[in-house]
Amino acid sequence: MNPEPAPSHTRPLPAAAPASGPLPARGRLDLTDIQFRPGPGPDAPLILDGITLRCEPGEFVVVVGPSGCGKTSLLHIAAGMLRPTAGSALLDSAPILGPGPDRAMVFQEHGLFPWLTAAENVEFGLRMMGLPAAERRHRVESALRMVSLSTAGHKLVHELSGGMRQRIAIARAMVVEPAVLLMDEPFASLDAQTRTLLHEHLQRLWWQTRHTVLFVTHSVGEAVRLADRVIVMSAHPGRIRREIPVQVPHPRPMDSPELADLGRIVRTEIQEEVARVNAELENGHR
Amino acid sequence: MSTPNWKTAIGRRARVAAVWLVLILAWEGAYRAIGWKPWVFPAPSHVIDATLSMLNIHTYLGEPLGPGWPLANPMPVDNPRAPGTPVFGSPLVSALTYSGLRMAIGFTAALAFGVAAGLLLWRITFIDSLLGPLFLGLQTLPSVCWVPLAILTFGINERGILFVLFMGSAFSMAIAMRDGLRALPPIYRAAGIMLGARGLRLYFRVLLPASLPAFAGTLRQGFSFAWRSLLGAELILLTQRRGIGFLLNVGRDFADVAQVVAVMIVMIAVGMAVDRWCFAIIERRVRTRFGLAQPR
Ligand SMILES: Nc1ncnc2c1ncn2[C@@H]1O[C@H](COP(=O)(O)OP(=O)(O)OP(=O)(O)O)[C@@H](O)[C@H]1O
Ligand SMILES: [Mg+2]
Repeated sequence: MNPEPAPSHTRPLPAAAPASGPLPARGRLDLTDIQFRPGPGPDAPLILDGITLRCEPGEFVVVVGPSGCGKTSLLHIAAGMLRPTAGSALLDSAPILGPGPDRAMVFQEHGLFPWLTAAENVEFGLRMMGLPAAERRHRVESALRMVSLSTAGHKLVHELSGGMRQRIAIARAMVVEPAVLLMDEPFASLDAQTRTLLHEHLQRLWWQTRHTVLFVTHSVGEAVRLADRVIVMSAHPGRIRREIPVQVPHPRPMDSPELADLGRIVRTEIQEEVARVNAELENGHR
Repeated sequence: MSTPNWKTAIGRRARVAAVWLVLILAWEGAYRAIGWKPWVFPAPSHVIDATLSMLNIHTYLGEPLGPGWPLANPMPVDNPRAPGTPVFGSPLVSALTYSGLRMAIGFTAALAFGVAAGLLLWRITFIDSLLGPLFLGLQTLPSVCWVPLAILTFGINERGILFVLFMGSAFSMAIAMRDGLRALPPIYRAAGIMLGARGLRLYFRVLLPASLPAFAGTLRQGFSFAWRSLLGAELILLTQRRGIGFLLNVGRDFADVAQVVAVMIVMIAVGMAVDRWCFAIIERRVRTRFGLAQPR
C-alpha cells in the first residue's frame, strides 16, 4: 500500500509557483442583467437588480456584501435552483435551465447525506451519471486523496469533524468534474485554524484542477486570499457595487502586505455599504 | 466515576427488580393474611398459576401452603383445567399464533397504505387539503369504534378483525409519515438534484432514505396502534374463538379473574417486547446512523 502523502498544510507553501493545471476550455459563466424577485408580481421585493457578472474559465470569483444583499440568491440562480425574473444566465453559451452536475454546489451546511458513508457521498453524483463501478471507485479514491481523506471514506457523516465534512462536500462537488464550482460560505461554520487549512487546501485544489469558482463569503480575509476578483455587492436591491481584481500570484502567502491592503479596501467598501443601508433604513422608518 | 457504565446499569436493574419483588411478595403476603376473595382480585401466585395453566403447565402456587404445595392440587375435583396436553398446543401459544398472524397481515397492509398515503399527502397539496383533515379526524377515533361497522359490513369474521386493525392504525401512520417527510431538511433535495438525481431516483436515492428516521418512528407508533386495535377487535369479534383478545374474554366468561389479569399481563409483555426488541432497535439503529442519537 502506498504511504499516505502528508497533508500538505503541514508543509510550507513552495516559494516558486508550481505549474498550474491547463486552463479549461469550458466553464464560462455569463450572468447578464439579472433581476430577481422571490415572488410573482411587482409587489415582491426586488432582491437583485441589473447584475452582470462574467466568470472566465478557470477564474476564481468571490462575492462579498452585507447580509441579505442577495448573494445566496445569485448563487442559486447560477446553480439553476432559482429562475431569474429577468436577464439571462448562461453557461458556455447555453442557458441555465435547472440544477445539474455541471454546476456543482457546496452548501454552507455541507448537505451531505447522513445515510451514506463519506465515500458513498462522494460517489453519489457518479452513480447518478451512470458510470460503471470500477470507474466510480477509481474517481472516488482520487477525490478522497485530493482532500486528504483517503482513510476516512468508510466513516459516517456524523463521525466526521466539521472541517472533514466540508472537505467531503468539496470532494463530492468536484468529483463530477463540474464546469463551475459554486460555493456558498462553505467555511463559515468552522473555526479560524481549520478555515485557514481549508483555504490552502482549496487554493491548491483549484490551482491543479482550474475549475471556474464562484464563491460567496462574509470574510474579507477569505475573499482576498482566494480570489482573482472580488465582487462587492450593495443591498436593497442587490447590485454590483465594485469589482476589485486581486493580482497577487498564486500560491499566495497568508501574510502578504498586498493582500492586507486589498483587504482594507474591500472592508471599507463593505462598511460604507452597511452604513448606507442603515441610514436608508433609518430614513425609511421616519 | 471509576465504576464502568455497565456495572452501574446492572446495579440499577438489580435494585429495580428487587423493589418489584418486595412489592409482589408484600401483595401476596397481605393477600394471605387478610384472606381476600380470589374471585374479586387475584394474588400474584394465582396469576402465575393461570399463566402457566394457559401453557398447559399446572401449578398450584395460589393454594394454601401444605404438603404437596405447589405441585399437587388439594382439590382436584374443582379444577376445570385439562391436564396433560403439550405446551405447543396450549391455549396461550395458539392464541398468540393467531394474533401474530393477524398482525402480520393487517399491520403490513396498514403500513403499506400509511407510507403510500403519507407520500401522496406530502407531495400533492390538493390531496393533503382534501384528505389530511379527514385522516387526522379518523386517527382520533378509538379503534373499537370501528367494530360495529366491521360487524355490519364484513360480519363477525377474520375480515372484520383485519378491518378494525387496519382502520385503527393506517391513518395515524399516514399522518406520521407525512409529518416526517415535511420535516425533511430541504438541503437534501437540493443536493440530490444538484448531483443529478431526478424523478424516481430522487425519491428512491434521496428523499426516502432521508425520511428513514421518520419512517422508523412511524413504524414503531403504528405497531402500538395496530396491536391495541387488534386486541380490542378480538375481544369483541369472537371469530373462530381464537386470539389473545379472545382469551381475555374466556377469562371473563369463566369469572376467572386470575386468567383475566394473566392475559392482560401477556398482552402488555408481548407489546412491550416487540416494541423494545424490534422497533426500538430499528429506530435506534437508524438514528445512530444518521447521527441523531448516541449509540448505547
Ligand atoms: N423566498 C423569498 N421570499 C422573500 N424574500 C426572500 C426570499 N428569498 C430571499 N429573500 C430575501 O432576499 C434577500 C437576499 O437573500 P439572500 O439569502 O440571497 O441574501 P444573502 O446575501 O445570501 O444573505 P446572507 O449573507 O445573510 O446569507 C433577503 O433580504 C431575503 O430576506
Ligand atoms: Mg446567504
